[in-house]
Amino acid sequence: MDLFPVWLSLRVALTATALTLLIGIPVALLLARRRFPGRNVLEAAVVLPLVLPPTVLGYYLLLVIGNRGPVGRALAALGVELAFTWGAAVLAACVGSIALVIKSAQAGFESVDRQLEQAARTLGRSEWSVFWSVTLPLAWRSVLAGGVLAFCRALGEFGITLMVAGNIPGRTQTLPLAIYDRVQAAQMDEANALALIAVAAVVVLLFGLSRLARLRY
Amino acid sequence: MVAVELVKRYPGFTLDVRWRAETSVVGLFGPSGAGKTLTLQCLAGLIRPDAGRIVVGERVFFDAAAGIDLPPQQRRIGYVFQGYALFPHLTVEENIGFGLSDRSRGERARRSAEVIERLGLGGFERRYPRELSGGQRQRVALGRALAIDPALLLLDEPLSALDAPLRRTLRDELRETLTGWSTPAVVVTHDFTEAYRLADRIVVYESGRVIQSAPRAELLWQPASETVARIMSLKNVLRGTVVKATPDRIQISWRGQTLEAVNSPTRSYLPPPMSPIAFFIRPEYVRLIRKDRGAPDPQHHMNLLSGRLVSEADFGTVWTLRLRLDAPGEPAQGAFDLEVEVPHLVYEILEIERDRHWQLSIHRGSIHVLPA
Repeated sequence: MDLFPVWLSLRVALTATALTLLIGIPVALLLARRRFPGRNVLEAAVVLPLVLPPTVLGYYLLLVIGNRGPVGRALAALGVELAFTWGAAVLAACVGSIALVIKSAQAGFESVDRQLEQAARTLGRSEWSVFWSVTLPLAWRSVLAGGVLAFCRALGEFGITLMVAGNIPGRTQTLPLAIYDRVQAAQMDEANALALIAVAAVVVLLFGLSRLARLRY
Repeated sequence: MVAVELVKRYPGFTLDVRWRAETSVVGLFGPSGAGKTLTLQCLAGLIRPDAGRIVVGERVFFDAAAGIDLPPQQRRIGYVFQGYALFPHLTVEENIGFGLSDRSRGERARRSAEVIERLGLGGFERRYPRELSGGQRQRVALGRALAIDPALLLLDEPLSALDAPLRRTLRDELRETLTGWSTPAVVVTHDFTEAYRLADRIVVYESGRVIQSAPRAELLWQPASETVARIMSLKNVLRGTVVKATPDRIQISWRGQTLEAVNSPTRSYLPPPMSPIAFFIRPEYVRLIRKDRGAPDPQHHMNLLSGRLVSEADFGTVWTLRLRLDAPGEPAQGAFDLEVEVPHLVYEILEIERDRHWQLSIHRGSIHVLPA
């Protein structure tokens, strides 16, 4: 059996999770701690990928990164092609899952007593240090939970991926796409095996998360 | 020296205060919502005032006109928050050493150990805040603030998180710590006893303004106004009209009687006759006249009144009696005219339980006039 889709999906989901955490945490902090014009618009924009049909999202994304789109042309000028590569699959997974990281981390940051951060400031700590020594240590469980949910969502991403990365066996065919393909081709044994792998991966992750959640800090 | 001049406007509330103090411990006293905590936050640099100037010692923390606004990190202020705001994920030792991150590892350990030792927290270094009692938490919060050797210590309702018996013990402990470390401090409280025990100078706040700033003894004996007297929850704050005022004495007409009070020579107050005047009488300074010693002597017993007990309350060591004067008319304080406090022993000797009608006298020095 060809396990390429499993490895590809793991690689895509891991990369996407790392990227969503990198971008999502600052955005979540911004939403949790600052009042600024356009904050409501940003909050709405963050949830949009959760409620829009994935194919619609994928369609617009393709318009942007395709060889006629603004980003696609800029990348082409640099000799990079994004559409229909595994990079596009990462982008699709990021778009599909970043809301989960942001929402979960934002709730975590909001639950941290601001007085603790103020205490840290009066004790001479910079904003950077306040984040690393107070805010994040007190909110890490929510951030981690968001990361795990995002990973699971990225692993299962189907619609957006199909639109922007295609379904090219051996190149961009991820696990969910491969399962769909096998079912279409009536190869039920392989579809079964791949589906079980997906279920196992997610169950192990969620179990690990619930164990971690029992730690205090 | 601490000099504060602040204006901060919010919808429906404006803080506009000005006070200065040379003394070591300043108490900000007043009802909740008067702007005391807001003042602390401005002092610490956590909230930016709209206008004003803050000077602590030689350093200007804030000056709206000169465009100076030091961030909290540079003010070196030890802030003990209401509820303490200890870091729940850090041990006692880590909490106390938290403000020492700019020092070397060895220096940090040495300083933390010193603070832990001085505050009697030895043996608790590895505990987490949730594993400590209320009193220990207070000491950790103090230790964390004192470890950075602050230019000024701010304490926001430092005893409000504790229950009553502990409060009294810790109030005295806190007073000792403040004197022992001789760090200038500003303490916020809405409890007058607390303010009096902890502070040398008391600044009275009401709805965003300062209505009196005085050394504590002066405040106790000479509240600047009726409002101050009421915020201090003084008993028997009464209103009468002036009969005659001289630099030594003021005669007041109240409830159909004429009372004579001392006009304080340091603060001679000469209102014209017939003008309204507020005054207060401390309940422990009203004397009940013994019936077994003959008729009262007007030379000895001034401001003679007579009245009937309408209610009483036993506070253990003292009894509080509420009397209604025999004079006709509405009583001055709802159902009664005067509250009188007598020691338990006196209550028993005079058999007050049995005898409900009494003559009273009030020394003219015990009637305190309140300038309008």
